[in-house]
Amino acid sequence: MAVCVAVIGKDNAPKYVSCLNPNMELDFHYKVHNALDVVEEKMSANGKASGDIRELYLGLLNSTDDHKIFGYVTNTKIKFVIVTESANTSLRDNEVRMMFRRLHSVYADVVCNPFYNPSEPISSKAFNETVRNMMAGNL
Amino acid sequence: MAQCSGELFDVPGELSSKAHTFIGLSGLDTLNNATHRAIWDAFTNNRRHDKVSVHYKLFPPEHVFPTAKPKRNTYEWYIPKGILKRNWMNKYLNVVPSVVVIFYDLDWFDPFWNEKKIECASRVQSVRAALEGRTTRIAVVLIQTGPPIPAGDESITAERAATLCTTCELNAKNLFLLPHNDHLHGYTLRLENAFYDLAQSFYNQKVRTVRGHRDHLNKTTHQYLFVRHQFKMGFLNELKHDATAASKHYAQAYSHLLDVRVVDTNTLEVKTVAAYINYKLCRIAFNQNLPRDAIAQFRKHIDLFKNMVGPKEISFEHHAWLSKQFCVFGELFDEAIHHGLPAVQTQHPGIYFHQAAQHSMDRKNACLENCQDINIYPQPDPLDGLEDLEFYGQRPWRPGKLSAEPADAVKEKEAIQALQFKEKSVNHSMIIISLLGSAISQAKTYRCPRTRRQLVVQMAEEYYHAKDFKKALTLLSHMLWEFRGEQWSLLMTNVLLKALECVYHSPSVTEFVTLAIEAQSSTVLMQQEEKAVLLENIFRLLKGEPPIVPENIQVGANYGKVWRASFAASNESKPITVEMTNATSFLETKTSFGHSSFQEDKSTSLKIWIRNKCSQKVSICRSTVTVSSPTNSTELQLVPAIETVPYTLEPHTIGEFGCSFSAKQEDVGKEFTISSVNLCLGQKLDESILLRFSAQNNPQTFTNPTELVQFGFNAKELRQFQDQEQLLSCSVCPREAHLSAKIENEGPALLGEWFPVQLHLENNENGPISSVVIKISLMQPNGKELDQATHLCLNPMAEVISPPPIMIELDKLDVNSSCSYTFHLKSLRVGQKSLVIDITYILNESTKCERIENLDIEIVKPFEAVAKFFTQKFDQVTKAYSQEPFVVLLELKCLSPWSLAIEDTNLELVQPLQNVGKTCQSQLQNEVLNTGEVGTEAYCVLAEKESEQPVSVGMYTIRWRRKNTPKEMVTSSSITLPALLKVDPAPLLVEMELPAHGWVGSPMAASVNICNRTSQLLEVELNLQASDAFMFAGQKQLKLRLVPETVHTLCYNLYPLLSGLVALPQLKLSPADSSSELRANQLAELLERSLPTHIYVMVTRSLCGYVVTSNFFPFSASCEGQI
Repeated sequence: MAVCVAVIGKDNAPKYVSCLNPNMELDFHYKVHNALDVVEEKMSANGKASGDIRELYLGLLNSTDDHKIFGYVTNTKIKFVIVTESANTSLRDNEVRMMFRRLHSVYADVVCNPFYNPSEPISSKAFNETVRNMMAGNL
Repeated sequence: MAQCSGELFDVPGELSSKAHTFIGLSGLDTLNNATHRAIWDAFTNNRRHDKVSVHYKLFPPEHVFPTAKPKRNTYEWYIPKGILKRNWMNKYLNVVPSVVVIFYDLDWFDPFWNEKKIECASRVQSVRAALEGRTTRIAVVLIQTGPPIPAGDESITAERAATLCTTCELNAKNLFLLPHNDHLHGYTLRLENAFYDLAQSFYNQKVRTVRGHRDHLNKTTHQYLFVRHQFKMGFLNELKHDATAASKHYAQAYSHLLDVRVVDTNTLEVKTVAAYINYKLCRIAFNQNLPRDAIAQFRKHIDLFKNMVGPKEISFEHHAWLSKQFCVFGELFDEAIHHGLPAVQTQHPGIYFHQAAQHSMDRKNACLENCQDINIYPQPDPLDGLEDLEFYGQRPWRPGKLSAEPADAVKEKEAIQALQFKEKSVNHSMIIISLLGSAISQAKTYRCPRTRRQLVVQMAEEYYHAKDFKKALTLLSHMLWEFRGEQWSLLMTNVLLKALECVYHSPSVTEFVTLAIEAQSSTVLMQQEEKAVLLENIFRLLKGEPPIVPENIQVGANYGKVWRASFAASNESKPITVEMTNATSFLETKTSFGHSSFQEDKSTSLKIWIRNKCSQKVSICRSTVTVSSPTNSTELQLVPAIETVPYTLEPHTIGEFGCSFSAKQEDVGKEFTISSVNLCLGQKLDESILLRFSAQNNPQTFTNPTELVQFGFNAKELRQFQDQEQLLSCSVCPREAHLSAKIENEGPALLGEWFPVQLHLENNENGPISSVVIKISLMQPNGKELDQATHLCLNPMAEVISPPPIMIELDKLDVNSSCSYTFHLKSLRVGQKSLVIDITYILNESTKCERIENLDIEIVKPFEAVAKFFTQKFDQVTKAYSQEPFVVLLELKCLSPWSLAIEDTNLELVQPLQNVGKTCQSQLQNEVLNTGEVGTEAYCVLAEKESEQPVSVGMYTIRWRRKNTPKEMVTSSSITLPALLKVDPAPLLVEMELPAHGWVGSPMAASVNICNRTSQLLEVELNLQASDAFMFAGQKQLKLRLVPETVHTLCYNLYPLLSGLVALPQLKLSPADSSSELRANQLAELLERSLPTHIYVMVTRSLCGYVVTSNFFPFSASCEGQI
């Protein structure tokens, strides 16, 4: 399923980046970082056209030979990015959507933790566990 | 634009050139014949810009076309040696024309018609012979210079044309005329269309021929031919500008190609041809504005051939091919964009250039893997003949061999070695860098700043591999600057480490120190030990030793030497300065003035706070702050709060440094700004690094997430640091003046008076003051004009009063002594006036001081005057009558809060009014009016003549002063009395002369004067009515004729019968005849206001001895009322 999951703060600083293959970490950081270009573009485009403001899912941001990158922006401008392998053609758009919803709800749980400081990177065990599951395809 | 040329797998020119319809022209002697030259130019130069593009070529009459190959009737035993012939496309582009047009000068009525006809026919024949076996169309154009054929001669021309066609064995449709006259261009256009149609039919026939071959082919041996034929059809369709059909055939060619069985020996050929067909397909799709189709085709193409690597020894060739595919597609895409195709952020040429660069990197790696040990180029050259191969994409050492044949193992090996040797000499880095360069510029165009950053980092890496460390470092430091903003620590660390690697190779003390200091920052994800090593390296550098290289970096043998050379260069610029605006670091500073302003004779504090964010002790041997004013800047040294040398800052603590800041007298009014904080890092001053922090934009904005940091667990130190407010600028204000200025006045001031204000100065300074200048000026309200109605003076008695401001100068004032001044203010308008009293002086003959006082004064009216008008009988009136006196009653009300003494008043009357009586003294003279009191005086006034318009009474002037002021301070105020009344004409004036009172029983004389004011004779009837209170003698009833301007006097003797206030006998006047100008009511009014109605009659005069009872005087009209 997902090979990399990232949460990015409203000022575009990473809060959480996790990927399946630790050797590819730098590569994925770059990929997610580059995807922010598209996220910003889509966000500014959404701002202009008064579409459905409740639609948080941005859809496919970028697709290369190897990977597909999907994006999701919360109302507080927290961005979620999920990278999947292009080879995995069985993954449907709806499933990606579900993954983002799940991520959003877990993220909300993290933020609700009174001991969590929103400016810090996420280091929640539950969150980690969900992301691990997501990457293992258990969701 | 990417550099995709001069390389393996270039797109050949015949493929990339635009497909034109090819038409040959013959029989034009452009060198010697001007007419022919003009025709040739008309065909070639005046190209139309529509879709029909034709390529003309001039053939000499004796041109020999290549002989056509014999037609093959059966393909049964034919085995193709390759897929696409290298010369085929060129043949139809440049060698074999679709139409050959023979130009011949021949008029219809040429005298040598028959001879010329035969010559023309022979020319046609020779061309036809040269094109033996080809279906090239032949057309003849007769160039006619003669006059146009007259009407009716068509039969001759038609006949001659028919015979010419027969002689030339030419279809009559292929014979054209070209009259050479002014309309050459129009004719050539029409001819061109005709030629174009011929060309179309030629290509159509060609396509049909090729299609006809298909029936002879079988799938087992003729796979190549399927591809070739479809390609040919596609190409021919392109020549006839049928893009849709061309695309269809190319697509079929492509799918046939996929059916070809691919083995190692023909991989290159298949891939080459696939690349060419793909190129054509994509280009046509872009031209037809179908970018999605182009992209889809390209994706498919890459997917299909991505894994078709071929022999492993030359896998670099496959990567080069892939890279080229992406690059060429990128260029096609870019070209389409230049022609107006819109591209988007996620789909633009830069992506393909990037991919091309990626594949070039793979190629480089493959080359490194396979070609490292190849040092000899094999002899004889196995690659000989590469340029003259018959088919595209074949190997020169086994041309035209089919895959089925066994390979010559030795030759194969040598050839591979030759390829590897060649590959080794290729500068891959330059290819990659130029591709990345293209990708970067595209990323910039399509708003992908972050992607661009990654590309730049990749480019820097490639420079690093190419051992161009300087360029790599430059790129990396730029990217470091950009990555710092968004806190992608991993990426930033990656860039930083790469930059450090570059510095190890290309020594630069400053760069190393900057990077190493940046590396100490907590955002950089490095092990503490590594950071410590870097810090240690910094201090090694300061001692003149090269830094210790980490184990994973290979450096050259002369490492130490090059570093020492760089020390020599850096020694001149000691201490090493690091601009901390360009780096996030382990130190943060904040700086502040104690106050936002301070007085020139005092001083303020200046503090800096330094926060150590790393987990190591930091020694600071000197700290200074640069403070700049608009004119200059100074550097101030600060001392730590706890003084030790060098000052050591423990990990995660905040150090405080401070000093006092004072200003000089010339700095008054200036603003000082802290521009930078400079810290010398190190134990000793000569072995230290100067860190320069900008005070204005602290880089801490990069590093501190702004939201809710205060709630973090270990934020105590952070909070402490954040609580420090920064105050970066401070202004110097003048010292406080210790001169006391007391202002006394008796406000409010009265309008028009010279209002005295007392100013008491006392010197409370610690020394004598001199050159005291007091400047008193009016405060000008913003944007308003100077108040002209307000005057200031020192002495109101002076004759000349200069306009404000007024200046008072005083040479000296000793300690604790005082002086007083009085100045006066006069305002001609009510309202509030603001004065500014500005006192400047010099203390102790050196220090300039200033004191400014403001004074507000309210101006009020002193009086209010009201005029009332009465008849002589004190009945209030609103109009007057000419020549009839009336009374003006003036009421003067004191509004001032002060008692006012009236010196004099004066009523200046305006014509036609004048005073009755000669001298007229004020009745209010020397009176004193208190607040709210009213003084009244009356004047008897006469209007000389009538007036239609209301007349104004005049000016009432009051000379007054405050009660307790000396006599000289008299103010004269004038009040214009309100406009009065109309003055009506009075035709008669009636007066009654009567004693002041009468006695009962004693007669009194009364006379009535009736005066005619008009210039006409007036006739009135007079009637004196009887009264109970009086008996009277005199004319009781009378008809009077009044001559103009005369007075008629009637005398009466009145005998009062009753005492008290009694009514007098009533006199009545009425007009004698109705035609008179006088009217009865007018006369009645006149009498009513002129004559008294009552008189007071005393009781008796018996005390005086008169007999009251029977004393009776006969009345006589002529009697002069003597009593």
